[in-house]
Amino acid sequence: MYPNGVRALDNVSLEIEKGSFVFLIGSSGMGKSSILRLMYRERTPTDGEVHVDGIRVDTMKRSKIPYLRRNVGVVFQDFKLLADKTVWENVAFALRVTGAKSKDVMRQVPRSLELVGLSHKSRMFPHELAGGEQQRTAIARALVNNPKILLCDEPTGNLDPATTSEIMELLLRINLKGTTIVVATHNQGVVDRMRRRVVRIENGRIVSDEERGYYFLGLGQSSVLSG
Amino acid sequence: MQITAIATVAVTIFMLGSFLYARETLSKLSSGMLSRIEISVYLADRADDKRGRAIAEVIGADPRVSAVTYVPKGEGLRQLQDRLRGQIDTSLLTSNPLPNAIRVRVKNPDMVPAVAQSIQKMRDVANVEYDQATVAKVLRLTETIAKLGLIMIVVLIFAAAVIISNTIRLTVFARRREIAIMQLVGATNSYIRAPFMAEGFIAGTLGALVAIAILAILQAELLPKIMVTLSFIPFSTAHVDEFHLMLELLAAGAVVGVIGAWISVSRYLRV
Repeated sequence: MYPNGVRALDNVSLEIEKGSFVFLIGSSGMGKSSILRLMYRERTPTDGEVHVDGIRVDTMKRSKIPYLRRNVGVVFQDFKLLADKTVWENVAFALRVTGAKSKDVMRQVPRSLELVGLSHKSRMFPHELAGGEQQRTAIARALVNNPKILLCDEPTGNLDPATTSEIMELLLRINLKGTTIVVATHNQGVVDRMRRRVVRIENGRIVSDEERGYYFLGLGQSSVLSG
Repeated sequence: MQITAIATVAVTIFMLGSFLYARETLSKLSSGMLSRIEISVYLADRADDKRGRAIAEVIGADPRVSAVTYVPKGEGLRQLQDRLRGQIDTSLLTSNPLPNAIRVRVKNPDMVPAVAQSIQKMRDVANVEYDQATVAKVLRLTETIAKLGLIMIVVLIFAAAVIISNTIRLTVFARRREIAIMQLVGATNSYIRAPFMAEGFIAGTLGALVAIAILAILQAELLPKIMVTLSFIPFSTAHVDEFHLMLELLAAGAVVGVIGAWISVSRYLRV
């Protein structure tokens, strides 16, 4: 329940296994983002518990939140890059705030950039990049601390279809390396093409949870109603 | 934005500094005056030097007395001439109108009335005078200022901190995107606060420096003029420890800056 009285999530129970790839789908304002926010402790539940990587997150001391965030990378629709920093600096930023030493920065940043395929553009500024490249920068930043989990809130919302595929392909590759990925999206095409676990949220409730689901209900092999 | 913060600190520290300076001066003055309370004993005309010194010795034997000085009329005239130099040409005097005198200092200001009374009873003593009334007034004034002072200092520092925090909040607000991203990416609150607090510290110290500079200039320009206007007050006895005061003001500025910055960033961090 948000402070203004809006009930964002109602009686939600969700379990995500390590290394899995999960889609959270549903129209805008249905609660997908709220679930993600609980996971990186941007909000706390009015009722209930949140556990991430074995640690109870909703009652965590405020001072420990930064450490949670270093283990949970988050990517947004609007990229949230620092406009006055280059690609390199944006990615390095996430390392520097954790107090990483220079040599660690010099080692991890190139690795992260290579993973997303942006090594050759490390000196450019966000406004000089295409949308897809900006998002890849954001992903590189989210991954630079080697988090176990990557949360994506409408990552392809501002991107064209071709770029969208590229990004999703990238996310898949990252998932294969062992990172748990949760993607909140309302992009039907992406979901249908990838056939992963699909959790559908409607009006704050989970209405379906399919292992290899489609965007629209009923097309999957099994429809399980949980709520 | 920086300029506003610095200017704010400068104004507040200036007021604080002026106030502290005035208070220090008054306090030094009053204790100076206190320690120089003198009972002036004017002897009868018939008392000659020998008689005068004898009386001085008797007074000196009083345990309450800390110092006795016999001032024969000749010496008294010379001292008067020195004091009035430039105002009255005492060379016009044909004879010395002053009596032989004794100046007495007591160990404790409250003993003055009693000692004065006992001296008055002695033979050949014409007049006994002391300026207790004025000193008592000064004492009361200093006490009031001391109390007022504490309140003023607290209020001033509080006001400055609030204003600084508002000014710095503008900077914080302007960089809220960056701060949000820092929090997202896992920066601790201290890490986020640090640059703002450094900014506050610098603004505070610079502001204090500006204030100190202005105060120094004012002191150099105005003080001599004030001293001439109020020449009856012995300013020379009131040496305010300027260096010490400067350090205090600098510290106050820095503290105000840091606290102000801390407040404004913290509010934003939802701590």
